[in-house]
Amino acid sequence: MKKARLGFACAALAFALALSGQAAAQSTQITMWSNWPDEPAKRDWVSARVSEFEAANKQCTVKLNFIPKADLYTQAKSAVRTGQAPDIFYMEPDQPEFLAGGYLDPLDGIVDLANLEPWAKAAWTSRGKVFGLPVEAYTVEMYYNKDLVKQVGVTVPASNQMSQAEFTELVKKGVASGITPVAQGVGDRPFPGAFLLYESLLRKLGPEDYGKLLEGKISYSDKRIVDVMTWVKSLVDIGAYPKSISTLKLGESHFYFYQKPGALVFPIPSWFSGRAFAPPANGGMPADFPLGIMHFPKMDEGKCPDCKTLAVAGSYVLFSGSKNKPCAGALLKSMATVENGTKWMEQVSLQTGIRSDPAKIKSQRADYFAELTKRNQEAKTVFFGTPLFHYRGKCADAFSQVMNSAFPTGLVSVKEAADKMDAACFKG
Amino acid sequence: MKEASLPIVQESSGPAGKNPVGPEMDPRRASWPVLAFFLVPALAIYFGLTAYPAFKTFIDSFFLIEGRETSFVGFAHYRELMHDGTFWVAVRNTMIWSFIAPILDVATGLLLALALYAGVPFARFFRVAWFTPVLLSYVVVGILWMWIYNYDWGVLNVALRAVGLEHLASSWLGDPNLALGSVMITHAWKWAGFNMVVCLAAIHSLPSEVLEASELDNCGWGAKLFHIIIPMLRPTLLNLYILAFIGKMKVFDLVWIMTAGGPLWATETVSTYVYKRAFNWNTFDLGYPSAIAAVWFGVVCAAVLILNRAFGTKERLEY
Repeated sequence: MKKARLGFACAALAFALALSGQAAAQSTQITMWSNWPDEPAKRDWVSARVSEFEAANKQCTVKLNFIPKADLYTQAKSAVRTGQAPDIFYMEPDQPEFLAGGYLDPLDGIVDLANLEPWAKAAWTSRGKVFGLPVEAYTVEMYYNKDLVKQVGVTVPASNQMSQAEFTELVKKGVASGITPVAQGVGDRPFPGAFLLYESLLRKLGPEDYGKLLEGKISYSDKRIVDVMTWVKSLVDIGAYPKSISTLKLGESHFYFYQKPGALVFPIPSWFSGRAFAPPANGGMPADFPLGIMHFPKMDEGKCPDCKTLAVAGSYVLFSGSKNKPCAGALLKSMATVENGTKWMEQVSLQTGIRSDPAKIKSQRADYFAELTKRNQEAKTVFFGTPLFHYRGKCADAFSQVMNSAFPTGLVSVKEAADKMDAACFKG
Repeated sequence: MKEASLPIVQESSGPAGKNPVGPEMDPRRASWPVLAFFLVPALAIYFGLTAYPAFKTFIDSFFLIEGRETSFVGFAHYRELMHDGTFWVAVRNTMIWSFIAPILDVATGLLLALALYAGVPFARFFRVAWFTPVLLSYVVVGILWMWIYNYDWGVLNVALRAVGLEHLASSWLGDPNLALGSVMITHAWKWAGFNMVVCLAAIHSLPSEVLEASELDNCGWGAKLFHIIIPMLRPTLLNLYILAFIGKMKVFDLVWIMTAGGPLWATETVSTYVYKRAFNWNTFDLGYPSAIAAVWFGVVCAAVLILNRAFGTKERLEY
């Protein structure tokens, strides 16, 4: 009897092992590379979607890695060439070479495209097909410290938009009070130093001519552009930016604004929330920080004072050389739902290209979200894409070196900057 | 000792200096299978990881490689290179760095070695301390010096402000006039210890009779240094210079970490430019960066040959 029991137990164990082995053999592991290793809210959202997917699809497992964006791009560029790229990886629409090179598969028929915002879909549409799942979207905002602005004796207008003269006054008063007027750092990014200038150019030129400027059809020697550049240069000369702007990193510029030493305004896209809403102990914004959002200044004789830049950033793409497309596609499909869009808005407090249900958003940062939504509603016209979304190669490099770095640090004059940009970007 | 060993070698040679029984009968010579056993792995690694990539880079420089499509463009990349302003800025920066910085490196290494040779207090500690940067990775060194150079709280500016030289406090990595020099100093700091060790070994191997004779002749420290030690160290110093020169012609890591070639291309080197064109240029084209790499490979080889020729001397020191 005892032997029989032992034999039965052994057989059961062998059967169970065989079953589990079979299950393991049938499960497919897909690889996914994501950005945002240092942005907890976004990381948590992605991890949660992957966990939910794995729970609902036992035949698929996901090896998820969070890698800093610059490293991820470099690795992806090498990996796609050799067919070793992950099945799904992070990408932004300003990296069109992956699409042009045939390394991305369209998501039509894989993801329910009706669950994507039309403007976000457009950012990833090529030859009539959609190639990216636009998770992260943003608007370019001007955050400010309500208390410090008040302290230097400036009142933000009810319209939440200053004139050129008012903004110049704010900068002057900040400098006089020993407070850095504009927090900004270009030490590790090719774009932040240009936010003030290019948002001002958008408001001065209007979306049509601004678009032409970014396409290289309008010269930087255009009088309207020179006027705006001259104004921004005057702010630079007054001392608008931190003395350490050239080496200050993006993360440090956040800390500079809401922790130490503090600044009046912080021009940055609305993905500000990714770092700001981390716990203060991890470099996040203090819970009682008097955060406000104002519009960028309206330009004298500006064509579009209520214009605003909207862009798609973090997205996920499907590698065309993937050997696990059914699982990879299923994961992307599971992410692209209205429910997940709503969760992104709730958890990250940032716009998304996935449709969401505003009525169901219960954000812990409801006040912030309400203010951001209000500023966005006040913007009547939206221009799609930041300069680096439009600039390529040599022109992008000139933008990074001149407009992002040298101009806001006062290293070049208006004419020098305009000449360098025209030499690299103007197509005549 | 060396002369004593020569007759043994000559014993196996014939009257005309040739082996009368042929090399294949030389008992010291291994058989072909044994030779192949030892050589093939090394040659495979050499051809697979060095020769082939170099050859492929050269071939790629004649093609436009867009994703999965490749098209022959002949010398188009080379022609474009001749008119590429950023490339020439990178060449200028790299040349400045390669020719000037090694002087700083070798001079610093020699000074440190002389300090140790002269018996400074805590010499053992200093020998370890001065050599430690050599052991650090470029990433660590880069970050460390970015902190040192930080405008607001970097120790350099803090020190300048503390001693009343606030007007000298600068954005060391943000000012195009200072950035290249600042990165060069960081590089020299990292490698000074290596040069120090080599110089120290060379100093210790100098013949003591010559140095003692100079002391008997009442030769001062300075005269001994400039008329005896440095001339006798000349081959070592030149080798260090050429080694440093080659290293700096390829410099990438430190620049990429500290400035990424900015501000305004002031620290752009050929290597950082190749990397940017290959990986940061919104294109998969490896043809153009390959052309830069091919040209630069030729320049480095030519420069080393010229330096060897220029510094080479037929005079041998007799001592």
